[in-house]
Amino acid sequence: MDGVQYIDEIVRVWARETPDAVAFKFAEEALTYHALDDAADRLAKMLIEGGVRPGDRVGVYVDKSLDTAIAIYGIMRTGAAYVPMDPGAPEERLVQIAAACGLKAIVSQERKAAGYRAVIAAAPDLACVLGADGAVLWATDVPQNRGAPRARRTDDPAYIVFTSGSTGTPKGITHTHETGLAYVRMSVDLYGVTQEDRLSNHSPLHFDMSTFDMFSGPYAGATTVIISEMHMKLPASLAQLIEQERLTIWYSVPHALIQLVERGAIENRDFSALRWVIFGGEPMLPDQLRAFGLHTPNARFSNSFGPAEVNQCSYKHLDLADIDGTPISIGTPCAHADLVILDGDERADEGELFVATPAMMVGYWNDPERNAQAFRVIDGRRHYLTGDLVRRDSAGELHFLGRADRQVKVRGFRVELDEIELLMSRHDDVSEAAAVVIGNPARIAAYITARPGATPDTADLRAFAAQALPPQAVPTILSILPEFKRTATGKIDRKHLAEVYDV
Amino acid sequence: MSDRTTLDRKSKIREFIIQKLLNGRSVADDENLLLSGLVDSLGVFDLVAFLEKTFELTIPLDEVVLEHFSSIDTISAYVASKQAG
Repeated sequence: MDGVQYIDEIVRVWARETPDAVAFKFAEEALTYHALDDAADRLAKMLIEGGVRPGDRVGVYVDKSLDTAIAIYGIMRTGAAYVPMDPGAPEERLVQIAAACGLKAIVSQERKAAGYRAVIAAAPDLACVLGADGAVLWATDVPQNRGAPRARRTDDPAYIVFTSGSTGTPKGITHTHETGLAYVRMSVDLYGVTQEDRLSNHSPLHFDMSTFDMFSGPYAGATTVIISEMHMKLPASLAQLIEQERLTIWYSVPHALIQLVERGAIENRDFSALRWVIFGGEPMLPDQLRAFGLHTPNARFSNSFGPAEVNQCSYKHLDLADIDGTPISIGTPCAHADLVILDGDERADEGELFVATPAMMVGYWNDPERNAQAFRVIDGRRHYLTGDLVRRDSAGELHFLGRADRQVKVRGFRVELDEIELLMSRHDDVSEAAAVVIGNPARIAAYITARPGATPDTADLRAFAAQALPPQAVPTILSILPEFKRTATGKIDRKHLAEVYDV
Repeated sequence: MSDRTTLDRKSKIREFIIQKLLNGRSVADDENLLLSGLVDSLGVFDLVAFLEKTFELTIPLDEVVLEHFSSIDTISAYVASKQAG
């Protein structure tokens, strides 16, 4: 695999070596490496006929299924970049993404017609909408005289993941074949992924964590089990799937593990095949991880840290015995990463984290203004400014302190919202907690959800907070919610909390 | 059990799902409710609470699974089996 230069070549290699091995599974359906290779070729041929050329962008607008895998490998094979479109997103968001990167084509499904028709009406550059099998769902009347495709390059974009920018316009995190493969090689090495492994694909495609499942699994010749949206909403069915599919590597946001602990009925499940339980995207609650770990006799745990802009840049491996209730560190740098902590302009043990790796994005798509602010040259090398505050301890391990923009001033005092959340989540009655600043003058509001069967009391929670926090950090507003609204990627939607509950 | 009981049960379930979980969007009785853009994970738990209260049932966690909760038809059949049991 050392000679592979393009992400989609991964499948070509295994189609030759182990054609009948299963690359992807979805429910009862399986796609062998040979079948995936064929399907990707067929789709690529139809996309090129439809006018797609190297350097173009092609949307992937499908419900999670084997179509997801065929779409991304087929698109990359044309030399174009795939652009995930959240299958549950409102039409307005789809149109916004199509416009932001000038989609040339979309791979979709007939049942998603309402969504892609909205994009067709608003995207003049769009040439066609195809099914993953190459069927033409829609094609423009405008002649596409684009000539023969130019040769592809390894620095062509391979995929662009859009996140919702705080100012409204979406940010397109752009990775090339080079940056994508740099991450894949590092992660396969770090977790020792082999042909014998069976990976979960829990993250939806529009979440960058999916690249581990979709690329790193196939790079090792392993099987990736694509988990349906239905399973993601029903923890007891998800637990059943982990057992039946004998998954060996799990990778998800912490929320999915918490759901399994609280509602997955996992007491009698056999999770003995699991050898890695990897989590990332936001801090994992140690007590909940421990509760999960009691059911995985052969698993190690790993905190995978890094913003989508750089992929994973640090890790902390843990055994069950290491999970003692103290916050889980973000560990030490990955082999390929250079991590620098700056306090202002000075190198320090506590401050803002800057990262340089060969797996770093090349930039935000078509966004010179944001790109000018996203990077900083340190010692002659371009580093990404993560906006994360970290501390390095005497053993060289990094601890996540919070987002620079989550460090707030209340009555002149510096308060870390993430510290408040972590504390509140450690109360026996609390499942999860979120803290935000609302109003003017700024006040701290904390929201919690109850553990199943518990009936938390706000006076008791307030006393609990007051015992551990400085007075200015004790939440003025404390409220118990039935559930948190989630972002498209499963994180607690804190922006929504601040807006909805502002008083 | 009479057809009338079945119809009543199904229409109560349908009404809750359409009014409370789908903001009035219509849905067929055999349509998959759990695909993207329809009922989310919070909705599933609201639905379980509604069924427990309306039909005076206790629904254990290990029965909140695909076979029972994928469509109005399967939910209704599941509730009927609980009531019969």
